[in-house]
Amino acid sequence: MTPIAGGVALNLALGCSVLTILALLVYNRTLDHRLFLLGQRLGLAISFFVFISTFILGYQLFTSNFDIDYVARYTSYETPNIFKISALWAGQSGSLLFWLFILSIFNTITIIQNQDRHLNLMPWVIITMSVIQLFFLILTNFITNPFEPTQADFIVQNGNGLNPLLQNITMAIHPPTLYLGYVGFSVPFAFAFSALVNKDIGALWIRSIRRWTLVAWLFLSVGIILGGWWAYQELGWGGYWAWDPVENASFMPWLTATAFLHSIIVQEKKDMLRVWNMVLIILTFSLCIFGTFLTRSGVMSSVHSFTESSLGPVFLSFVFIILASSFGLMFSRMKVLKSPRKIESVSSRESGFLFNNLIFVVMCFGVFWGTLFPVITEAVNGNKISVGPPFFNQINIPIGLALLALTGIGPMLAWKGTSNDKLVQNFIFPIAFGLLTALVLIILKLTVYTVISFSLCIFVVVAISSEFIKGVRVRKNKFNESIFISLFKMIKKNRSRYGGYIVHLGIVLMFIGFTGHAFDKEKEFGIQIGQTEKVANYNFELIRMYEQERSNHYAWITDLRVTDISGNFVTNLRPEKRVYFHKNPDVNKRQPHSELDIYSTFNKDIYSIFSSVSSDNSTAFVKIMINPLVKWVWIGGYVLAFGTIIALWPRKD
Amino acid sequence: MFTLIIFAAPLIYSLQPLLLSRINVVSKPYDKEILKRKKILLYRQIKELEMEFDIGNLNKEDFLLRRSEIKAEVSEIITRIKKK
Amino acid sequence: MNTKIFSLIVGVLSVILFWIGWVSLNPSDEKAMARFISVEKLVNNEISSRTKLGGIVKKGSIQISKINQLDCVFVLKEGSAELVVNYSKTRPDLFKDGAEVIVTGEYRNGIFVADELQTKCASRYEGDLREESNYKLEELEI
Repeated sequence: MTPIAGGVALNLALGCSVLTILALLVYNRTLDHRLFLLGQRLGLAISFFVFISTFILGYQLFTSNFDIDYVARYTSYETPNIFKISALWAGQSGSLLFWLFILSIFNTITIIQNQDRHLNLMPWVIITMSVIQLFFLILTNFITNPFEPTQADFIVQNGNGLNPLLQNITMAIHPPTLYLGYVGFSVPFAFAFSALVNKDIGALWIRSIRRWTLVAWLFLSVGIILGGWWAYQELGWGGYWAWDPVENASFMPWLTATAFLHSIIVQEKKDMLRVWNMVLIILTFSLCIFGTFLTRSGVMSSVHSFTESSLGPVFLSFVFIILASSFGLMFSRMKVLKSPRKIESVSSRESGFLFNNLIFVVMCFGVFWGTLFPVITEAVNGNKISVGPPFFNQINIPIGLALLALTGIGPMLAWKGTSNDKLVQNFIFPIAFGLLTALVLIILKLTVYTVISFSLCIFVVVAISSEFIKGVRVRKNKFNESIFISLFKMIKKNRSRYGGYIVHLGIVLMFIGFTGHAFDKEKEFGIQIGQTEKVANYNFELIRMYEQERSNHYAWITDLRVTDISGNFVTNLRPEKRVYFHKNPDVNKRQPHSELDIYSTFNKDIYSIFSSVSSDNSTAFVKIMINPLVKWVWIGGYVLAFGTIIALWPRKD
Repeated sequence: MFTLIIFAAPLIYSLQPLLLSRINVVSKPYDKEILKRKKILLYRQIKELEMEFDIGNLNKEDFLLRRSEIKAEVSEIITRIKKK
Repeated sequence: MNTKIFSLIVGVLSVILFWIGWVSLNPSDEKAMARFISVEKLVNNEISSRTKLGGIVKKGSIQISKINQLDCVFVLKEGSAELVVNYSKTRPDLFKDGAEVIVTGEYRNGIFVADELQTKCASRYEGDLREESNYKLEELEI
């Protein structure tokens, strides 16, 4: 299949998207079912042509056809096969096509799944999804086409190749996982928009999107955590989150999506918070598109961001169209939207969810505010002021801790309201353990935030554990089962509930990891063979330093022996400095890369970076970081994913 | 030739319904669907309420009161379903 | 809506928004904020407060101290404006001649003393191929 066919497929997809929208708009007036079938099938045809186009690009990458500019830029003959495939999303135009590809998969599933269901909603669901596809098709057809031929007046012998920093399996998985999250929210958004158009705000539209939301949320969460994990393992600055504008771009929709996920439970059970849910899904999807815009437009200077391109204004216009049309429609449907029921008590679960929504949205606003601070300050007084991690931390730590508290409080509240005696009964142990922890930590002279954080973590763990214990106890007594059988069956019968509790436990573990950051220690120093340097409670002795030529790079390796304060052996660390393309005659084409070595345990990571070596090869310059509790962030991530999968597990209705 | 078939086939498939005579939309009894769904959700709420009471999150008074409220709602919905 | 709940909502909202505003005007950490400015403006106005600059590392300008390899000096180029920058921490891997960098720090006595240096992430979508067609590489001996 030639590249031209790829371009033609994109053209056809564009044409089909326009026809789909027209066919279904006419259907809405005439109610001629033939037009609905036409629209449905054209919707599938859009996806089909996008699949063809994507496979063709993938094939060109795999076969190294350097006549295509995209292939020449992001691959070379030497690029391993798996990274030739992942180059599909390495560049601007390819990644937009990939976005479209995932959108088309979801579009196909949605249409096929709902062939005989939600027939009143589906026309506008398909129209909405086709409009989103149309937007990306306009981009890939006219503004940044992945099938552009190479602009060279000679035959390109070999491509530019993929940067070795990106030749890492995590880096290959991180973008697609995030895209699955971003794109996943297009489906709930499409259903919400359709529900608004049709004035059908009842229970059914929520049911259709609950699973989609959970799946999209899972991918977004995993994508964000993977990004942090990769940054920590590969980039060498010893952290996993820098409040970079592009990181924030993925975090903001995550915040509103988490609120939405919780809030739709209330609508499904109590038919409340309808307006909230509409606002939340509109915001979530808009933030997904806005996040894609932030990453590409060059508006915010970020280590991720890309230089100015014409995409910026186009994306921004699309975000504006989404917001204007969705909120406009929402306000026009306000009468139907407003819930007839009211929240009656502060100590009710509904109230807990309401405050949950509020705090998530305001936290999202805080992150938005900080991310766009330079733009805001420039508009106000001409000075472009950027804010860094201390700003975000100062704002978000207290808010995050409030959310952590709610994670423990919420499950112990009953629907409609909790009686005072039950409040006391439910909260007494978690509060007691929390306070005891606080007391111990105050005696140990920890800072205010770390005391609060750890105490709240204990509070939440005790609260959630007590829910499990109470449930198991009841089952055990009723059915005379063993503890493990009771636990298993209890979770099996209430997957959403207990899956959710497990996710909360995962979040608590992550908070434990986050709090460890307060105790980080680091030191940069030069060291010679035989010398020892002390960092925090550890001694680092340089045993040897040597060089090695390897298949695709050259390496300088330091061998550090780590002992504790009593002289006991802890570990050996071997951080390396590598140079890829080391034989390239052009010095600037040689790519240095620090290969870290990390010694990781449950209570700390010892993180080593080999920065450079003196010109006489006698001194190694090394950076050591002692990062307590980092491992709990990753463990928490696994628990979060596990809990979500349990919640997602299909039930027999 | 192969490429032409690949590109033409989805278009032909999509346009095929236009060759049929007009089909008027026969809407399913949609309201009934909503009511049935609401009934299932209310039954689940009763089960959840029983669970909350068993594990001790709800006292007996509140449990009995809320359960009777939901049961009344269920009865009303069943009546409406029967009418449709 | 229940008046108690409404008042609580207003209360929580007010507190958080006030907190955001407060931190915006009075960040507790001096490194929380930096003014994004052009090299030209910084040099002409001799601004000494914490600033953030972006530009390209001038080719051949990187000098590393023989005594302390962590200590380095280079020239930051933004358009026609140039500025000497001093940075004394572990340099990122992508830091080299021609790299696009963002530095944060203070301008003192004609030199910009940076405490943060970031290079653009390797996964940039555009830009590095503006000046030269990098993809006309000869086959490399590996």
